[in-house]
Order: sequence, then C-alpha cells, then structure tokens
Amino acid sequence: MLWVDKYRPKTLDQVIVHQDIALNLKKLVAEQDCPHLLFYGPSGSGKKTLIMALLRQIFGPSAAKGKVENRAWKIDVGTRSIDLELTTVSSTNHVELCPSDVGFQDRYIVQEIIKEMAKNRPIDTKGKRGYKVLVLYEVDKLSREAQHSLRRTMEKYSSYCRLILCCNSSSKVTEAIRSRCLNVRINSPTDEQIVKVLEFIGKKEGLQVPSGFAARIADKSQRSLRRAILLFETCRVQQYPFTVNQAIPPMDWEEYISEIASDVMREQSPKRLFQVRGKLYELLTNCIPPEIILKRLLYELLRKLDEELKHEICHWAAYYEHRMHMGQKAIFHLEAFVAKFMSIYKAFLIATFG
Amino acid sequence: MASQQQRDIRKWLMKPHDKDKGNGNAVKPAQSSPNKTEQKPESKPEMTTQRGQESSGRRKTSKYFAADKQEPKDEKEVEELPLKRKTQSSGEKSVKLPPSKKVHKVDESEDDDDFVMPNKKSNYVDVTPSKKLKSSTGRGVAQKSVNDDEGESDDDDGIKDADSLKSGGRSHSRGRGGRGASTNPSGGRGRGGGRGFMNFDRKDPPHKGEKEVPEGAPDCLAGLTFVISGTLDSLEREEAEDLIKRHGGRVTGSVSKKTNYLLCDEDIEGRKSSKAKELGTPFLSEDGLFDMIRASKGTKGSSQNESKESVEEAVSVTKKGPKKAELKGNSLPRDVAHKSSTETLEPTKLKEQAVGESLLSWTEKYRPKSPTDIVGNQSVVNQLHNWLKTWHAQFLEGGNKGKGKKQNDPNAKKAVLLSGTPGIGKTTSAKLVAQMLGFQAIEVNASDSRGKADAKIYRGIGGSNANCIKELVSNEALGVDMDRSKHPKTVLIMDEVDGMSAGDRGGVADLIASIKISKVPIICICNDRYSQKLKSLLNYCLLLNFRKPTKQQMAKRLMQVAKAEGLQANEIALEELAERVNGDMRMAINQLQYMSLSMSIIKYDDVRQRLLNSAKDEDISPFTAVDKLFGFGGGKLRMDERIDLSMSDPDLVPLIVQENYINYRPCSVSKDDDGLKRMRLVARAAESIADGDIINVQIRRNRQWQLSQISSLSSCIIPAALMHGQRETLEPGERNFNRFGGWLGKNSTTGKNLRLLENLHVHLLASRESNLGRETLRLEYFPVILKHLTDPLRLLPKDEAVEKVVQFMTYYSITQEDYDTVVELSKFQGHANPLDGIASTVKAALTRAYKEENKSRMVRSADLVPLPGIKKTSKKRIVAAVEPSDDALGEENGDLLAEKEEESFSDTDELGNADKKLQDELQSLKSKGIDVEMEIKDIAHSSAKKTPAGRGRGGSTSGERKPGGRGRGGSGSTEKAGGKRKR
Repeated sequence: MLWVDKYRPKTLDQVIVHQDIALNLKKLVAEQDCPHLLFYGPSGSGKKTLIMALLRQIFGPSAAKGKVENRAWKIDVGTRSIDLELTTVSSTNHVELCPSDVGFQDRYIVQEIIKEMAKNRPIDTKGKRGYKVLVLYEVDKLSREAQHSLRRTMEKYSSYCRLILCCNSSSKVTEAIRSRCLNVRINSPTDEQIVKVLEFIGKKEGLQVPSGFAARIADKSQRSLRRAILLFETCRVQQYPFTVNQAIPPMDWEEYISEIASDVMREQSPKRLFQVRGKLYELLTNCIPPEIILKRLLYELLRKLDEELKHEICHWAAYYEHRMHMGQKAIFHLEAFVAKFMSIYKAFLIATFG
Repeated sequence: MASQQQRDIRKWLMKPHDKDKGNGNAVKPAQSSPNKTEQKPESKPEMTTQRGQESSGRRKTSKYFAADKQEPKDEKEVEELPLKRKTQSSGEKSVKLPPSKKVHKVDESEDDDDFVMPNKKSNYVDVTPSKKLKSSTGRGVAQKSVNDDEGESDDDDGIKDADSLKSGGRSHSRGRGGRGASTNPSGGRGRGGGRGFMNFDRKDPPHKGEKEVPEGAPDCLAGLTFVISGTLDSLEREEAEDLIKRHGGRVTGSVSKKTNYLLCDEDIEGRKSSKAKELGTPFLSEDGLFDMIRASKGTKGSSQNESKESVEEAVSVTKKGPKKAELKGNSLPRDVAHKSSTETLEPTKLKEQAVGESLLSWTEKYRPKSPTDIVGNQSVVNQLHNWLKTWHAQFLEGGNKGKGKKQNDPNAKKAVLLSGTPGIGKTTSAKLVAQMLGFQAIEVNASDSRGKADAKIYRGIGGSNANCIKELVSNEALGVDMDRSKHPKTVLIMDEVDGMSAGDRGGVADLIASIKISKVPIICICNDRYSQKLKSLLNYCLLLNFRKPTKQQMAKRLMQVAKAEGLQANEIALEELAERVNGDMRMAINQLQYMSLSMSIIKYDDVRQRLLNSAKDEDISPFTAVDKLFGFGGGKLRMDERIDLSMSDPDLVPLIVQENYINYRPCSVSKDDDGLKRMRLVARAAESIADGDIINVQIRRNRQWQLSQISSLSSCIIPAALMHGQRETLEPGERNFNRFGGWLGKNSTTGKNLRLLENLHVHLLASRESNLGRETLRLEYFPVILKHLTDPLRLLPKDEAVEKVVQFMTYYSITQEDYDTVVELSKFQGHANPLDGIASTVKAALTRAYKEENKSRMVRSADLVPLPGIKKTSKKRIVAAVEPSDDALGEENGDLLAEKEEESFSDTDELGNADKKLQDELQSLKSKGIDVEMEIKDIAHSSAKKTPAGRGRGGSTSGERKPGGRGRGGSGSTEKAGGKRKR
C-alpha cells in the first residue's frame, strides 16, 4: 500500500498539517448544518483529505464506504437525447464526482445529479430530515454554462443538499458561486510541515531518515505534500538505507519537459520546432494535461532565461494558456508558444551576441 | 495501300482549305475574291507537294498517332469542311498573288521538313495579307506533328527538369508548384512531377511590372516555339507564357530542335541554354519579344528590317537550306490534277449530310464511330475488346471443360468495370467495342430503376427492370445451344453503377448475383472506382481505368471537330480549352459548340476568358489544395481562389496546413541569413493557426457557422500567405511531400490512453484505498506505481519479486491490462522502456502468479464496476457526430459493433429480471455453489477485460467464455446478477 494512502488522516483529529482549518471545520459541522463549501488551494495541499475527513465527521464512518459506480444518464434536450456517463463514488449520504470529465456537456450532469439527489432525501436516525452532500471536484474546469446552472440549483435545492466544491484556483470559479459558498483556502504546507510529516512516516515505517534528506525531498516537492510522500516512497523503493545525497528521481514527464526546454534553448529553427512538436505530442498522448505541460515548460525555460526576457515570456505563456482554454486542439497552442518563444529568443540572441 | 494513299492525298489537299478559310477570315474581306476559281489550281500544286513531304514528315513523328486507323476518320471530317467552306466563305477564301506565293512555298516546305520555322516571321512582317494567310496554312499542318512530338518531349523534359532542378538549377518549367495542376492536363504525371518543381528557388523578376506589355496582332507569333529559361526582366514566367500564347506562339518546356527561340534575359548556363547553344537555337531577350509583338502592330516599315534580320539570323543558324525547299518545290505540279479531280466530286453530297446533322448536338454528332476514334485510352479499349472477344470462349465453352480452369485464370472475370472521370468516353467505348464485335448492346443506366430483382414470380418480368436483367442474363442458354452465328449476341452495359441510390435497393448485390449467373458479358461503368458502394463489386470485375487524354490528343480531336463545323480555331486555343475542361472531352466539345454560336474564330484569349469563369469544378484533394496555397504561386492567387482551396475540405486542409507549414521556406523573406525572419513568420503562422482553432470551437460549440470563412482564413490562408514558398525537408530521409495532419492520429491515441487511464483510475478508486483524481494519478502516482511494479522485478530474486508485485497489484485492484497501461503511458520516445532489464522469465512468472492469485480470490468490488470504456465509446461516437468534441476518438467500426451488441444485451438485462437469468445460468452451468461462485468471478473479471476488447482485440474473449452460443448476453447477465448479489 502506498504511504500516501496509508498515512492519510482519516478524521479531522488526525490531521497534522492544517490543524486550525480542521478545527474550524469541526466546529462548523457541529451545529448539524453546514453551508456550501468551496475548498481551493494548490494540489497536494490536502483538500480532498480534509473533505473526506469532514464527511466522516458529519456522517460517521459510513461515509468512507462509498461504492464506485459508473453511472449513465440519459438526458432529454428537446430534439435529441444525450447519453452521458461518469464515474461516481457514492454512499447513502454523499456523492462525489468530477463533472468536468465529461467535457463540455458537464452542465447536464450538474443539473441531473442535483435533481436526483433532491428527490430522495435521507432521514437520519433521529427521524430528522437530513441532507445529502454533493462533492464536486475540479470545479474550476467546469464550463461556464455548468457553473451557471450550478448557481441556480444551489439555491433551489439548498435545503436538501449541500455542495462541497473543490478546485485549484478560485479565480476560474464564477463570482456568483464563490459568494454562495464558504470559501476555505488550503495553503500548501510549508517545508517544515512536510519534513515533519515525512519524519512521522519514517518513524512509523521504522526507517532511518538521515537529517537533511527529508528537507531535500521537501524542497523537491514544490510544497506538495502528496508529491513529497510519493517521492519519499520512490526513494525508498529505489534505495534503502537512505543516504543524505541520494538522488531524488524526477517525475518522468518533468524530465521530458526539461529536455524540451533545453532543446528550445539550444537551437531556434523550424527544424527544432518540428522535433519539439513531436515531443509535445508524446506528452499529450501520455495523458499529460496540456496546461501542466505549458506551465512546466515555462518553469523550465525561466530557470535558464536571462532576466530581461522573463517578463515577456511569462506574458506569452499566459496568453497562450488562455487561448488554449478557449480552443480545442492544445497542440496548436503549445506549438504557437514554442514558436513565439523561439522567435523572441532568437532575436534576443542576435541582438546580444550579434 | 493505294486507296489509303489516295485518301491521304485527299486529306492533305483538303486541309489547306480549311486553313485558308480560317485565316482568310482573319485577314478580312478587304480583298475581293475575283479569282476564286483561278486560285484553286494554284494553291493545289503547292499543297500537294506539301503533302508529299508532310506525310513523310508526319510518319517520322507520328508514333503517337494510331496513324493508319485514324486517317479514315480524319478524312471524313475533312471532307465535310470544304463544302461548307465553299458555300459560306468563297468570298474571303483566297486572294493570293502568285509571286508571293512562290516565295512562300519555299518557306513552307522548309518548315515541313524540319519543323523549324524562322520564316514565319518573314511571313508576317513583310506581309501582304495574302502571304500571311499562306504562311499559316503551312504552319497549321506542320504544327500538328510538332504538336504531338512536343507533347511527348514536354513530358520527358518535365521530369528531367525536375531532376536538374533538384540539383540546384533555378530555371523554371511549367509544372511547378501551385500551377502544376492547371498547366498539366495529363493526369498521368501527377504529383510526382509537380512536386519536384517546388524544389528550387526562382527569383522575382528584377523589374517586375515596370515595362509596358505590348499588344500585337493576334497571331503574330504563330508557328513559333519558345522556351523560357531563367528569370525574365519584367515578366513572371506565367505572364510571359500567357503573352506568347495569346499571340499564337507555343511555349514548351525544354529546348529541342523545333524550338525557335530561347527566351531569357540572362545566360544562366543552365541545361536549357547549353542545349540551345548546341542546337543553335537563337536567344531572345524579353525586349526582343516585346519588339516582335509590337512590330506586328506597329509601322510595318520599321519592323520589317528588324524582322528580316531576325529571319536571316535564324536561317543562318538553322542551316537548313532553301535548297531543300526548292527541291521540293519542283515536285509540286505532279499531284495537282489528281487533287482537283477528287475534290470536285463530293461537295453536294456532303452538303446534305451537313444539313441533316446540324440539329444534333456536337457531342452526338462527333461521337466516335469506331474504337480507334476514341481519344486516348487505346490500350484500355483494346483490353476491353479482347475481353469481350474471348468472353464466350472463356465462360461458355470454357465452363464446359471444367470449373477448375476457370478459377485459375486470373483474367477470368465475368464482368468488366470501366472507371474514369466523366466525359472521357467510357460509355462510348463500351458501345463501340460491342458494336464492332457484333454484340447487341443493352444499356441500363441510372434512369432505369435497378433495384433488387423481385423474386416473386407472379409479378412477371415486366414489372421490374431488374427482372428483365435477370431474364436477359440467364436466358442466353438457348441461343448458345442453337446456332450462335445467327443469333445476335448481346452484351449488357450497366452504366453509372456508382449512382445506384436509395431507389435501387440491393442493386449492387443483385448485380453481383447477376454476374455470377450471367450468360452474357456485363460491362459496368462507374466514375469512382473506390466508392464504398462498389467495394463488393470490384472482386467480380476486371478493372479497367480510363485516364484523361492529354491536351494534345484532345486538341487534335477538337481541331477536327472545329474544322468540320467550319470553325476557325488555332491549336493553342484548343489546347487551352482542353486544359481548362480538365480532360473532359464531352465538355470540351460542348464548350466548342457553345462558342461557335457567337464566334467563328476561336482564339486563345476567347477560350481563356470564357472558361475562366465556367471552369469545371475540379475535385481538389486537400493535399493539392495545400500544395497550391503554399506553392510559389500561392502569393498570386486571388482571395476567392484561396477561400475555395481552403474550403475544399474545411476539416482536413487546416490540419495538413498545421502539419506542414513549418516545412516551407517563405519566399517573402529575401535576405534571412540567421533565419530570424523566418522564425518570426513561423510564430505568426502558428498563432494564426491557433486562432483558427479557437474560432473553430465557436463554430462547433455555438453553431456559429457564419464564422467558417474566418476560420479558414486564419487556419489556412494567413499561414499560407506568410509561409508560402519552397518546401524543404526537416528530417533526413523524409520525402518532400506534405504529410497528412498528425493531429487526428495523435488525438485518437490520446483518447485511447485516457480511457485506459480511466480504467486504472476506476480500479484504484474501487479498491477503496485511495481517493485520487485521474490527473493526479497520471502526474504524481504513476512514477511510484511504476517503480512498485517494475523495480522489484529487476532487483529482487524472482519469486520474491513476483510475490511482492502481485501483492501490490491485488491491493490496488490493478489488473494486468492496467499494468500494461502504466508501462505504456510511462514510455517516452528517446527514453528507456520501463520494462527494460526485466527478464522474460520473470515476466512470465508474474503473469502466472497473477492468474493464480486471481483464481483463489473472491470477487473484488473493482471487478464489478462497469468500466467506462465499454459503453462510453459508442456514446462518444454519437456525441462526436452531433458535435465533434475533444474526445472524438477514432474507434474501429468493429469495436462499435461489438459494443452495440453488448449494449442491446445489457438493455434487455435491465428490463428482464436478472434473478431469473441468474437461475438459468446456474442451471446451465451445472455446477456446485463454489464453482458457480468462481465462474461468476471469472466472468466478472473477464468483463473487466472487455475494455481491452474495446480497443481492438475484438470479441476474442466472448467465444471462450460461453460455449453456449449466447455469448456475451449470458455473461453480461451473470455479471449483473453477481453484482446484485454482492450488493
């Protein structure tokens, strides 16, 4: 079993990193009712863990025993009917789903599932009418339409169900939704916190963790606790006992992107662009999301770039990232970014070195 | 041979008259025609001489004529001419001054002899009108043979040129780049040649557009053959070509001895110029050309000198002497008498004929009367002929000998399928061949209903056409047994088989059935051999493909028609016409008839203008469209042309553009040592393509179809405008062709991998040990999972490692397919395969251990979760049809079928009660409780395997699963039931 899963806090009490938030959440649900919640924060900061712990706090252990289902919906839209299918995890009291997986028709899912939940309202042990919780992941990837329809249903059915939304960036969630929720910002854990967690795990596993090694992992993890733990475990699989200077293997795709970055820095020509396109395709077919590619590529480029270009390149990266969201064929935009970078960098090189 | 000879003579005697008449028109009635009768004898002697030499000259070059066979036909048409001519145009006919003629004769015979015609110039320059007239007659005849010859040599040269160009020459030839398709009517050469031409770089003319292009007399360059080389001073290559053609000249691709001038402004030492020097062809500058043209219009005095000079020059160069000509001149008188006698015989008869036929449309009127008349495709016609000739021997008598033989003979197809673009004579040749072999042709075409024959007897055969066919096809037996010589043989011509539409349900299948039982030959005709509808038919037919005739072949035929109708047309104009209609003979003749209504002289410009608008819509493949957009000519296309090109396939063209735009070296960038400008253009083009993507989303998602022009503008036209130029290869070994857009394939792969990833995701979720998103899974869990799955195998001893890995897999409900997924998605090009270094015995052991583990364990919840891949695919398909989405995947059809089946079964399951079915299953399995439990588990597990089946392994598992014949249905229900139970 992976350590990430093994040492995931199951209840709000076990939480190590965001203890203050956990405490607040506990108070929040103690009064038997809770508002809609919007958790946002960078990945690996513990949003899902907190949500699961919160559900457990509300509904007891039964919440953890959801069943995985691949549900199909048949939706009638006037002239035609749309069939949609989505993997959900549900228990009697809650449903988790990630509506953005169905692409641009996510709004039907949002509408349908909420109506469905409103239909059969659970009754708790005391005979009081309870409510269900709908957990939606990756809300920032929901289409605008879906977010709008979410807004309506949130109010209409607010007595039957509570929404817990989870996303990375609250800026992509419409204002209307944000104002209807209690926003909970989950910060990335600090390096110290990560080290603390790693040492905790090391102790539980009975490992000898050299001092400084945990710090190196924390440093590598970019303040993502999940990644830190996974890295830790990778290192464990790779080599034990640990040494302080043990190489921490990079993620396969990150390595590949940094190769692309150095390719681009080394030569700016149509030929190179063509090769880069091939590599980008390779990443995309391996299911690396294009936004991540662009972000990582920018990161790698910035590390090698001269100061004066950084600002401009960031601007273009943002520009193409935005366009990538509006478009459909990510590779076009990635390629456009690389081409743009090449032309800028080439001009810069010529201007500087002649 | 004697009669043949005679006919030849007659033919050649006639010809001049047509010509006379034609040019006479141009020259104008200014001259009265007092001496019509007197003139004839005069012209004849000359003509006959000409003939003598001509025919020899012709023989020399006539390998492209099926000379002997063709001639009777020629003659016939020629015969028709004179009478009309005579009636209409006696006035204009001939005003010749004997002396001038003599001079002229000399010239003429010289032409004929060696096809170099410098004298033409003298003809028009010193010119009395009558002379001009004469000269063109001479030319017309000579031209013809030049023509054919040239056509061929052109092609050769084109190819050679391509080679030489690749090696760095920068001269030009017609086929290159964007213009390729339009300048080349001969489809045969196709892309290969055309592409080669894009490999070189030609500069723009240095003084482009700075000179005034002169206007001259319409045929002042008549009979002259030019070759253009290098960069001209102010004209683009195409403009120069156009200019020459407009004035009656001829432009060919390479220098031969028939070339009069090599048009070039600088000696670039290329292949053409060296050849020209070798042959002594004079060089002509652009200014020289302008002067020649101006001279024809300008004051005669001034131009005369110049042109005389040039004549002298030319003569001295070519060295083919007047002596020869004189020799020939002496032989003139002999044939004169002969000719006049033959001619006088026929006029009246012919006239009647002409009147009778005038009501027919020309396409009917000049439909070939014998197979040899068909323009082009002679070999195909011969094949057809042979097939039909031996048909009876092969299938009726041969059938008696034994069937084994039939099978072995590769040619033994009972039907033939003629395919080719419209208007090139498929139906005609089928009919003609049938007629020639004495078959009675029965034609069934799209105007008849051709549905499946109605098998019900009570309807009789009268009701349905198909029944008639059946009847016809099977009833020959009688005739065969009796005396076949008396009985007319029949042949069935199924025209337009690819046009079998909704009304002709089962038509093709029925046709195949008919072919199988047929006792008569069947000729099927279609336009598109690769049509989906005809796929099944192809196996039963001998496939004959008709090609488009070359423009020379067509022009020749059109010339005959024009002559026969008393139209005056020059060769170049007709070639242009042939080119414009893109090989469609029928359309060419129709156009000709149409033009004949309003004019009696057809000139290059007329054809050009008229057909520019009414040009036949070509089918442009996306590749051709991209070639044109990005070729050198790409910058000169009009906007509407560009839109047409990019709209020819609004889905594929942008993808091909996107795939290939990097490969072009933009010709708008002149000095670009460091490649910076090019890089900038690439960036702009890339951005524009990305714009196109965004617009496309708006179009599809919000149905804003009015944006489609803007979409094609930004995704094709702007990149093309920025990048058009020479294509170069980026990778060694790559062929210099446009690649097919890679996006479709990659997107499909991405979709497939996403689905696989989702399966793994579901399994991990179902194991209830983890709660992670799909993206997180790929980005962060993958390396660790991969390490867990592979590292032990590499490092630890075999048994221990296997045990460890299997344990891990079991814990997270990872199936073997998921294992493959993890490995597959972690592979990166240029990186080591994650499975490297693992001994195959270890892998095998792992597989075994995993299966073992599987058997001994109870149903896992992960196995019971229906995987998204199974239904999703078909659903996505529907979605894709409605609105192409991000995940419009390219699944195989077969998979879809399998899934449909699956779906229908599971639907019934939902309706019917699963419990009962479970009972049935239990009984049918005849097993005890535990066994059943196992069975269910296995099945359930194999249902988990269905996803892989969905991605291409077909129904391989379904068979083994259930010998009971109900296959999937049964297993599906068991699975359901099992699931219910557990829950």
